[in-house]
Amino acid sequence: MPIRIRLDRLLLDRRMSLTELADRVGVTIANLSILKTGKARAIRFSTLSALCRELECQPGDLVVFEPGQPDDPDEEDDEA
Amino acid sequence: MRALGRGSVSSFLKVILDVFLVVLWIGVGAVTLGMLAALLLSFRPDLISGHMHVEYLDVQGAWLGPAAAALCLIVDIYLAGGIIIVSRLRAIFATLISGDPFHPENARRLRIIGAALAALEIGRYAVASLGRLVFHGVIHISGGVSLTTWFAILVIFVLAEVFREGARLRGEAELTI
Repeated sequence: MPIRIRLDRLLLDRRMSLTELADRVGVTIANLSILKTGKARAIRFSTLSALCRELECQPGDLVVFEPGQPDDPDEEDDEA
Repeated sequence: MRALGRGSVSSFLKVILDVFLVVLWIGVGAVTLGMLAALLLSFRPDLISGHMHVEYLDVQGAWLGPAAAALCLIVDIYLAGGIIIVSRLRAIFATLISGDPFHPENARRLRIIGAALAALEIGRYAVASLGRLVFHGVIHISGGVSLTTWFAILVIFVLAEVFREGARLRGEAELTI
């Protein structure tokens, strides 16, 4: 998937743990881990909005497009 | 009347399938024992005093054992096909009872059911053709193409694809944060 979630970078910059962010946003740690590791298929606007609010950032800081990656996540799994 | 979950129509149907599966296994066991007995007795045809009478065909003596064994083998294959179908249906109904109809395995199970039904139907044509060849019209064997069966087989394959798409959508929903 050419879309990358730079959650680990933002958490490091804000010196915030995944557990703390999960508490603030109201998303389980398991789901945030899925998001952080790039295994998520989609993100709701409500989740994106809550993450941007708590991390004090713009959606573009959190989500980036990296060309050259396969579109289908299943293809990545097959290659791995 | 609920279709999914505990105490629903699905759980009632699963109980029927459970009973049916046990009956099929008992049938396979009994027919296999019969086949073995017929094979063993075919070595001693003098012990067999009876005869198998089908319409104008009268099988007796040395031919009785092999003929009965062949008949048992055909019945066993049909029962085995029934077990494949019923066991997959049971697994599908178990997912319906647990409230998870779009379980990823259900599409594969439906495809197996469709393939088993198709194999049994083709097997029926093969047995009928073989029977006509051997008995030369002495006995009547029905082996005509059943449009209803083929329609049901195609519907099952289409439903398998519907379930596969449902499982894919479920997977996406699970990975939507």
